[in-house]
Amino acid sequence: METQDLDLERSELELDAEPMFLNVGPAHPAMHGTVRCQMELSGEVIERVDVQVGYLHRGFEKMCERGTWSQVYPYVDRCNYVSPMLNNVGFSQACEKMLGIEVTPRCAYYRIALGELARISDHLTCDGAMAMELGAFTPFLWMIKGREMIWDIMEEETGARLTHSFGRIGGMASPPTEGFKDTARAAVAEILSIIHESEQLLFGNRIFLDRLQGIGKISAEDAISLGWTGPCLRACGVPYDVRKAHPYGRYDEFDFDVPVGSEGDCLDRFVVRLEEIKQSARIIEQALKKLPNSGPINVDDPRVVLPPKQEVYNTIEGTIRHFKVIMEGLKIPAGEVYSYSEGGNGELGFYLVSDGSGTPYRVRIRPPCFLVTSGLERVITGAMVSDVVPCFGSLNMIGGECDR
Amino acid sequence: MPTFKIDGREIPFEKGETVIQAAQRAGIDIPHYCWHPGLSVAANCRMCLVEVAPPPGRPALMLNVLSYDPDTGEYVDQQKPKLQPACQQVVAEGMDIRSESSKHVARARAAVQEFLLLNHPVDCPICDQAGECRLQDYWLEHQHEAKRMRDEPVHKPKAQVFGPTIVYDAERCIVCTRCVRFCEEVAQDPVLSVRERGNVNEIVVSPGRELDHPYTLMTEYVCPVGALTAADFRFKARVWFLRSVRSVCQGCATGCNAHLDYDPRNQTVYRHRPRENQQVNRYWMCDEGMLDYQRVHDNRLLEARLATGRVNRGGTPQPESPEAVPVGAALDRAAELLRSADPAKVAVLLSAQHSLEDNFALLDLAQRALWSASAGAGARREPLSASRVFATGRPAGEGDQILRHQDKNPNSAGVAALLAPARPQNFAALSAAIDAGAITHVIALGSDVDPGNVAGDSRIASLGRLQALITLGTWEGPLSRAAHVLLPASSWAESDGQFMNAQGMVQESEQAIQPVGPSRPAWKLAAAIGVRLGLPIPWRTLEELRAAFAGRPQPAEPVSKRSLQPGAVS
Repeated sequence: METQDLDLERSELELDAEPMFLNVGPAHPAMHGTVRCQMELSGEVIERVDVQVGYLHRGFEKMCERGTWSQVYPYVDRCNYVSPMLNNVGFSQACEKMLGIEVTPRCAYYRIALGELARISDHLTCDGAMAMELGAFTPFLWMIKGREMIWDIMEEETGARLTHSFGRIGGMASPPTEGFKDTARAAVAEILSIIHESEQLLFGNRIFLDRLQGIGKISAEDAISLGWTGPCLRACGVPYDVRKAHPYGRYDEFDFDVPVGSEGDCLDRFVVRLEEIKQSARIIEQALKKLPNSGPINVDDPRVVLPPKQEVYNTIEGTIRHFKVIMEGLKIPAGEVYSYSEGGNGELGFYLVSDGSGTPYRVRIRPPCFLVTSGLERVITGAMVSDVVPCFGSLNMIGGECDR
Repeated sequence: MPTFKIDGREIPFEKGETVIQAAQRAGIDIPHYCWHPGLSVAANCRMCLVEVAPPPGRPALMLNVLSYDPDTGEYVDQQKPKLQPACQQVVAEGMDIRSESSKHVARARAAVQEFLLLNHPVDCPICDQAGECRLQDYWLEHQHEAKRMRDEPVHKPKAQVFGPTIVYDAERCIVCTRCVRFCEEVAQDPVLSVRERGNVNEIVVSPGRELDHPYTLMTEYVCPVGALTAADFRFKARVWFLRSVRSVCQGCATGCNAHLDYDPRNQTVYRHRPRENQQVNRYWMCDEGMLDYQRVHDNRLLEARLATGRVNRGGTPQPESPEAVPVGAALDRAAELLRSADPAKVAVLLSAQHSLEDNFALLDLAQRALWSASAGAGARREPLSASRVFATGRPAGEGDQILRHQDKNPNSAGVAALLAPARPQNFAALSAAIDAGAITHVIALGSDVDPGNVAGDSRIASLGRLQALITLGTWEGPLSRAAHVLLPASSWAESDGQFMNAQGMVQESEQAIQPVGPSRPAWKLAAAIGVRLGLPIPWRTLEELRAAFAGRPQPAEPVSKRSLQPGAVS
């Protein structure tokens, strides 16, 4: 047997001092959406990290500039595709602000009820996936079951489970269905019991807590300087919620609390989302009480809202009205607006510029996730490799919103 | 300048102007159907009603009206001011007009709009006017409510053929009489008139006549609704898909300003519309010019060809075995022919069908090529002798005193001015020179020739005696059929170009669509031949080309590109 030619001059105990580079993503299951983390490791500690979000680029804002104002809805659906209804509502509000339109009470409460359902679906997805990625598969299945109930309601109301395109400038595509209130109440009750069971399962679990507690901490100052909003900011103890700070729609009539954390770690972000689900449930219950069973869902403004089909087919006025709104697009007065609402992950802002024509001159979106994701680098630098997954999960990056 | 007020805004006016004219000049739009700036005032649509405040110290002229009170369900006596049509009301100094600011005017406009739509059919989806229809625009702006009438609307004849170019739909007609007045006042052929009264009236053609004067398509153009439609454009395109460039009509030497409407998706040109220019065509165009856009796609040369030899059949030159080749190969062959030619026997044939750019490029190419061949480098550059420069175009046609010019070429004056003070010779002279053997090689622009009145065929036949004919042509014609080397040139719709009309005004026509097929602007083809000849061609872009011939066409009057006015559509 031949002797091995070992280099005995190099000590076998001395570790290689070269840093190790590790790529996670852009197609890694723990990277929700196409994000790539290029990490420089020293042992298991992340020395430096480069978070790259540019893998999803559809040119969303540019696409909005080629159709009519109403044709923007399918694009905003695909921004935060976990709670598209909130985007629909946010965009509608921005356009209505420019037009100086106030929606009908029925529409306002319907939007709040649907929007809060979408928020619950967003938070269920985030917390469920986060638990699953840490090995807790059961709560994930439970929470997704809850989300499924919401999506069933959305399908019943809008015809689509995910990309509804249900908002309209000056109203909604159609009024609530007859069974909406009952199914929504039933689903919310069921979801609350799912949350309760999941809490029991997770918060007594040492492994789960150890992997979240004190991990991915960020100070309130840092979070604010990064432009964070939503549950991630509130987990740091800052009680900023657009619904409370700048009430829009009819949120000022509602009684709800803004849950805040204290540490700004992964566990706080997890818990804040669970608590927000409970607050959303309160809001939905109030909204369903206030939601009138009859009355117009759309404002009565022929410049903006389509006429009933019966009129379109049988009267010249209806035909003209339909024609002007569809072919030329409804006209929004020249000017600019910044309109903001509380999206699933924070302040969802639309900065719109109109030149008075039927086509948007500029649609700029302020997606909460893009700013939150920009803080990922700070959150995981100095952490262990295994912390990447809970940190990333707790920030709830939505790829569609990082379309820059 | 004296002034008056509209809605509190001071507006200057000239003596004799009407309210609507002064307002339009100041950029204020008063809604109207029947008024057209180029036609007489009819004041029958009542859409432009405005309130005229009484002079200070005088009572307003008020009318007693019965007004329905929805709260009590009773009719009550009320007063409203007597409104005046802005198209007919002549302005006086200090007059106080209320248009947008008067609630009476707003009510009147809504009522007129409701009235005009009472019997209107539900036709928007099948109407060519949809998208540029006053009824649609004004309904949303001034009424935006459903009509109150519940009766069956009055039915009238639909799709009546008025003549070879126009189809009339009486149900859509609001009887504004713009078409009637146009035929009478501008076309000077009063062939249309109104029959009946009230809600059964309609436009009719005089018995025994058709709407067939040379300006029939203008009746469709002045129609503010979809009543008159052009047979040519009917059901061809939806106007909201069309884009428009400022173009110059290529039909004759008048050079009418036009909008060329095209669909950018399929790169197809669909129509011409007149563009206002008071110095050239005012608001109008003739049928010939309106349909001239068809040449962008009809009868086009869309391949390069090489012909090896030729035979004469019945006196007309016929190429022998013409063969389609890549444009590059044809350019190579053109350069080879020019290089091998005796420089003293080469002539240039310019075309009044093409822009100044194309003509200058060809002329400059020929000058450079022949000068370098005959004198060699270092010799002083002489302008090409006028005896070797010829120009032609389409044969002359019918003209009139309104717009149509006998010369059917858009750039005759420009081509003539390129060589100023000398003038290029006509096609007859070229034919004679070929027959005499003085010219053996010709590089020609365009497709048509104007052989003059005498012995046209024999003059065209002399093209068959050439040793080489290089044609940069856009359409099939005598020059393309006789060519040894044929290069496909783009039409005016496919590149920017300048044209000098019979008045000596240089006007610019903008590019609408991309060059069709393998065709390229003729000046680019000329540049490519120059490059193959190894010549230093200093104009590779349109800007360089224009800089190269700046000041070259010397028109009779100073050239003003600003003769182009933005087309105010009324």
